[in-house]
Amino acid sequence: MDVQEAVAETTPVASAEDNGDAKRDGQRKFTMGPNDSLEGKLVYDGSVHVDGRAEGEFKVTGNLDVAQGATARISIEAANVTVKGQVEGSVTARDKLTLGKNARLSGDIVVRRLQIDDGASLNGHVRMGDIEQHGSGG
Amino acid sequence: MSSTGPAARNRTAAPAGNGSDGGHSSIVLGPRDRLVGQLYVEGDLRVAGTVEGGLEVTGSVEIDDGGRVTGPVTARDRLVVGRSGSLMGDVHVARLVVQDGATFSGKVSMGKQVEAPPKAVEQVHEAEPAIKPIEAVKAPEAAKPAAAIKPPPASRPGQTTRPPETKGRRR
Repeated sequence: MDVQEAVAETTPVASAEDNGDAKRDGQRKFTMGPNDSLEGKLVYDGSVHVDGRAEGEFKVTGNLDVAQGATARISIEAANVTVKGQVEGSVTARDKLTLGKNARLSGDIVVRRLQIDDGASLNGHVRMGDIEQHGSGG
Repeated sequence: MSSTGPAARNRTAAPAGNGSDGGHSSIVLGPRDRLVGQLYVEGDLRVAGTVEGGLEVTGSVEIDDGGRVTGPVTARDRLVVGRSGSLMGDVHVARLVVQDGATFSGKVSMGKQVEAPPKAVEQVHEAEPAIKPIEAVKAPEAAKPAAAIKPPPASRPGQTTRPPETKGRRR
């Protein structure tokens, strides 16, 4: 399962200018901007910032956050997941999932810790507990 | 009866100085309190004790300070699961707050449907009742959920709470 399958089928996003694939404190970061879009499967060793439009499957060793105003139809697996935009799809947070006050999430979630701020909307099944981990990224 | 005015609606609530505001109940289940069964509240509810069963509240529900709820929760306004609260059950709410540290498992439904809160009795769907004799329809429906419910993992298997459908039908 640790095949690198980063596919950006549409617009080549996450421009590697300033922060596209920047290392910050030794942590790699994949940053999408509000006009970017990605369709496909992304397996990434680092953290991912989703903005704009995303569709597919994101499997991330670090953290993943979905910006306010972003729409994502993705299944997510990451350490910490923070949603401020709109997500349709399942979420697995190996540590914590945070839904910000404007977040809209519909999908089943598996988390170790959960925080939902007032104003967030959630439709789906919540399961809490230890997450089976099969090494992503390798 | 009309002379009693809004005070009549308060009669069910314990006026224990816990901030009931005009016409609304405000019920607090303290750390040593325990409820097994169905509770319907016109107002707000705060759970710091143990509840095994269904909660239906027209206002807000707050589960905190070691409060534990096992069962479905419907809140027309807001449900808060505090950092030391625990909720195992499906929830149907307009607003949901889960604080970091809280324990929560279940299905979450949020949306407009909460506007018309189903009274526990009326949850049996009433579509085309004329086709089959009512008794024949009701009996299997009442029996099914009771048989299908698997006992919650932590609680005693022998004591399952009655599903909301059967409440009020059997008397």
